[in-house]
Amino acid sequence: MTDAGYVITAYAVIIGGLGLYTLLLWRRLRASRGRDDEAR
Amino acid sequence: MSTLRREAGLALAIARKDALAELRGRHATVSTLFFAAVVLLLFGFALGPDSARLAAAAPGFLWLAVVFAGILAVNRLHLLETDDGALEQLALYPVARRVIYAGKAIGGFAVMLVLGVVVLGAVGVLFSVDIAAAWLPLLVTVVLGAVGIAAVGTFYAGVTVRLRAREVMLPLLMLPVLAPLLLGAVRATVAALAGDPFGELGAWLQLLVAFDMIMVVAGAATYGFLLED
Amino acid sequence: MKTRILGFVALTAVAAMTVIGLFVVPADLNQGDAQRIMYPHVASAWLAYLSFGVTAASGILWLWKRDLRFDAVALAGAEIGVMFTAFAIWGGMMWGRPIWGVFWQWEDPRLTTTALLLALYVGYLLLRHLTDDPERRATRAAIVGVVAAVDIPIVHFSVEWWRGLHQTATIGSPDRVLNPAAPMVFVGTLLGMLGAFTLAWGYLMIRRYQLARADVQREEAARLDRLMSARTAQPAR
Repeated sequence: MTDAGYVITAYAVIIGGLGLYTLLLWRRLRASRGRDDEAR
Repeated sequence: MSTLRREAGLALAIARKDALAELRGRHATVSTLFFAAVVLLLFGFALGPDSARLAAAAPGFLWLAVVFAGILAVNRLHLLETDDGALEQLALYPVARRVIYAGKAIGGFAVMLVLGVVVLGAVGVLFSVDIAAAWLPLLVTVVLGAVGIAAVGTFYAGVTVRLRAREVMLPLLMLPVLAPLLLGAVRATVAALAGDPFGELGAWLQLLVAFDMIMVVAGAATYGFLLED
Repeated sequence: MKTRILGFVALTAVAAMTVIGLFVVPADLNQGDAQRIMYPHVASAWLAYLSFGVTAASGILWLWKRDLRFDAVALAGAEIGVMFTAFAIWGGMMWGRPIWGVFWQWEDPRLTTTALLLALYVGYLLLRHLTDDPERRATRAAIVGVVAAVDIPIVHFSVEWWRGLHQTATIGSPDRVLNPAAPMVFVGTLLGMLGAFTLAWGYLMIRRYQLARADVQREEAARLDRLMSARTAQPAR
């Protein structure tokens, strides 16, 4: 792989991972709050 | 002064109880020692049969075997307590929590010391390392290593003893914390065996002393919270 | 609402700094393009340490004040810290391959220390998963978090020493990015990335905290429910 390849891989995983974690966090938050409302 | 002496006496009483229980259940002690021996044999298979290479790696084998077997030992010391709800009774004793921690840790230290000395001897025989020439610095290293493993192990065994996945969680939590101890003990052993050509033995022993002191203080300060929960 | 604005600002900042780091800033003379990895790598490492510091501090606060909200902060810090630790390791490996020729450089104390850090806090999270009672979980997690935080400097120090006493050639280390000779553009980009990541960290911490609180309330409600149904199931006397 060229230098640029490693740079792209590093950024893709870090920035992509940050985005993925945020998305999953939203989903978990919605799921938790949704079940909370049902319980009431 | 008198409270200090009383507390020390109580801690020793707890330690003696643990050591006695450990010795009475001889199967457990013997099986831990054999476990360490088997680990050493497997290291030999993994890196042998070139004996020069094995002798060079022997300090690493020594401490990995001691740490692995030590995890089994400290786990069992706490298991003794939960079997019949004894830890709850211990927590009800009208003594300071740090005394209970000290007692458990001293008991663990005694077991670790025996383990360390035996494994050291086994390493000397199996990998033809001349341990007799440097017996004093090696013994100091083993003592400092035993203190550290007992201090950390008592604390983490207390955390995990009531968990379902105790067998996995204890090593998982303990091993990364023990990494500096492993590093310092192996380096000190290497230096001691080589006759300390670079004068670094003292530095590594100091690292071990610092690690031991920090972990003993951290363990004594937090162990009480474990007994409450 | 305010959190949402923070999230928006963080998203914009991270996106802008990514573009700047990848395309705008010139490549380093010595390290070439690989040096661009340093920006998110250093930022991730900084946030990992910040997160674990927050976890240890909230652990102490829980033991002291016995308020479960501190435990929720501790959980948020540990989970987000683990994520940033993983990013830092990944960035370090991707940087090490073109510069050092290997993914894993044992001579570099930082990489080894960070790997141990990851193990420590993955253990912390697993321990939390395995304990059901909220207060017991908070106590166990707090003391493990405190001991882990105490262990970090010892690990770092010992690994540094381990390498130092070995007299090996020091190869270019990530510190180079911040040495005084570095042109201001590089320093500015690094600080910009630090700022953007810290904003994102703040947003994620708030959201993760909210999730932890919601989870605890749900657990609590479920427990009350079980208690109530057990009561009503009993025949009236």
